Amino acid sequence: MTRARRPLAAAALALAPVLVLAGCGGGSSSTKTDATARLDPANWASVQKAARGQTVNWYMYGGEEPLNSFVNGYVAGRLKKRGVTLNQVKINDTVEAVNKVLGEKQAGKKNGSVDMIWINGENFATGVQAKLWYCGYPAKLPNSKYIDYSDPALANDFGLPVRGCETPWQRTTSVLVYNPAKLGAGDVTSVASLFAWAKRHPGRFTYPAPPDFTGSMAVRTFFYDAAGGPQQFLGGFDRRRYTAPAAKLWDRLNALEPSLWRRGTTYPAGQPDVTKLFNNGEIDAYLTYDSTAVQSGIDQGTLPKGTRSAVFTAGNIGNYSYTAIPADAAHKAAAMLLANELISPAAQLVNAGGQGAGFTPVLVTSRLDAADQARFRSLPQPPSQVPLDVLAMHTLPEVSSAYVTALEKDWKANVLQK
Amino acid sequence: MPLLLAPALLPIVVLFLGGFAFGVAQSLGYQPYLGSRPVSLAAYRALAGDPAVRAAVGLTFRIALVSTLVSAVLAVVSALLIRRTGRGRRLVTLLFQVNLPVPHLVGAVSMLLLLGQSGLLARLGHAVGLVRAPADFPALTADRFGVAIVAEYVWKEVPFIGVVVLAALTGAVAEIEDAARSLGAGPWQQFRHVTLPLITPAVLSTSVIVFAFTFGSYEVPVLLGRPFPATLPVVAYQSYVDVDLAARPQAMAIAVVITVLVGLLVLVYLRLSERWLGRGLGGRR
Repeated sequence: MTRARRPLAAAALALAPVLVLAGCGGGSSSTKTDATARLDPANWASVQKAARGQTVNWYMYGGEEPLNSFVNGYVAGRLKKRGVTLNQVKINDTVEAVNKVLGEKQAGKKNGSVDMIWINGENFATGVQAKLWYCGYPAKLPNSKYIDYSDPALANDFGLPVRGCETPWQRTTSVLVYNPAKLGAGDVTSVASLFAWAKRHPGRFTYPAPPDFTGSMAVRTFFYDAAGGPQQFLGGFDRRRYTAPAAKLWDRLNALEPSLWRRGTTYPAGQPDVTKLFNNGEIDAYLTYDSTAVQSGIDQGTLPKGTRSAVFTAGNIGNYSYTAIPADAAHKAAAMLLANELISPAAQLVNAGGQGAGFTPVLVTSRLDAADQARFRSLPQPPSQVPLDVLAMHTLPEVSSAYVTALEKDWKANVLQK
Repeated sequence: MPLLLAPALLPIVVLFLGGFAFGVAQSLGYQPYLGSRPVSLAAYRALAGDPAVRAAVGLTFRIALVSTLVSAVLAVVSALLIRRTGRGRRLVTLLFQVNLPVPHLVGAVSMLLLLGQSGLLARLGHAVGLVRAPADFPALTADRFGVAIVAEYVWKEVPFIGVVVLAALTGAVAEIEDAARSLGAGPWQQFRHVTLPLITPAVLSTSVIVFAFTFGSYEVPVLLGRPFPATLPVVAYQSYVDVDLAARPQAMAIAVVITVLVGLLVLVYLRLSERWLGRGLGGRR
């Protein structure tokens, strides 16, 4: 008996790590799923009817508290009025949701447990590669009349055509967050001046290790600077254009490394670690992709009072972020209702006003009625934040995800592992 | 008899062997959502050349080995000391194993709050004037040696090994020890030739479990370790969440390698323990 049992126990132990990776299933079972009849997004009343009673499982990055309260407060309240329950599923990295959809598709599950994903370029591209998305509905959403789908910056997500498979809902712009007692106005004007400051004050600056979303953006910011701007990288990946500026970038980052937090022997694993370092007074500046959340952070006490933000004179990286619905989602009707709600002038205004996540609106304000236009114009302008028009004016585009992946891989080989 | 075992065997066969087979298939390039692709060992070849994997092997072994050895020694010492406590023994035993039901995740976060540079120790060090700022306190998390990772494992595994050792230290053991003492054995001789051989099976079997667990654990090193070098399970997960689906087979290959390494270790243990324990009491010279 004991002899027979032991090898089995041994096998069970030994297999545990595989299971961790292979057995990512489960998930909350939920309410009424879509009727078998095809949904017609053009017939909005039928979508609203189908959505009533559904629970929409929205998978999204859950690390920003102001955004979470916007989603679970304002957005959930609006959906409740239409008979839809919003279930926010917080994740650390969007790829977790994409993996779940992939796993369910592989398992042949028809009623997928992921109804909507807040998504960025790379993961959207992964889903396109595996044909995961439900397409064709965004332009038919009633509130899409406020959106300019012909704008190339919006029609391409990190260089990949959107082709009606995702709906924009936020514009994000990056800024440098800093402690004005430690950095002067001259230190925050460019990447070069920031690096010079960091070398004079060792240990007081860092960025998270890519592929962390923000860390990856930080490295692209430095890359644009080394290359003299992003213009030459618009379009597909071109190794001849990439190699020389990338080599220059690795030299600069390796020269900077001894002056970083922990002398650059290691990097924070993610952006939450970086904000924690800032709040604890261990560093004095960091880059964030969430420009307008500085004030809400101060209001909620998660950022020290007096924190300021700035954009480099050469510009700051920005992009549109989207929601996407998996083709096998069980509650597509409710998900479409949610996508539509997120781009309503009211929701966009709450968002921009700093009570919500504080994102730059995606709407073309000239398409709004006069009252809404006035509301957008009268948004408060806290001193911690770079004004919305300045942010928009300076925005540098994101480049094709092939560049993003190459930079992440090469940063790892040339900076992290060196 | 075999039929009666079926309910117990079914989860192991279906979940464990099934999951393992699926992992092996994916490590060989089985990815139906990408269309048909040739089955190949490319992922395993890529592992050999990946600096992240190469750095991970040594680190993972070192952390697992140090954690297991330290836990085993502390557990044996604690068990022997607890056995000596008189009236308060029940209370001491309870305190000793109070953290057994605490999940590793909670343990890891606690270590972060305790040992991190914004943690309790660093602030205490600052308060008593040891360091100028909490951030100047020596780095114990995300450090080169994985101090906090080992600390978490030891904190959690000492009571695990200790409880099993305590259970092995029965009244019968005390009688044999008394016999040895009455025959003139000194305290060290008694421990070396009587007590230790009697608790060795318990220490060995629990140590193997601890080693296998710490070798394959993800949550503790990801919270307390560095992005590079990271332990094998962390590297496997990094590949698993790579935006390029082509990296997925590599993640599965690492998981298979972890499984095979731990499996081999368990086989070695079974072979050795049979040989050692077969010789019986006092036979180890």
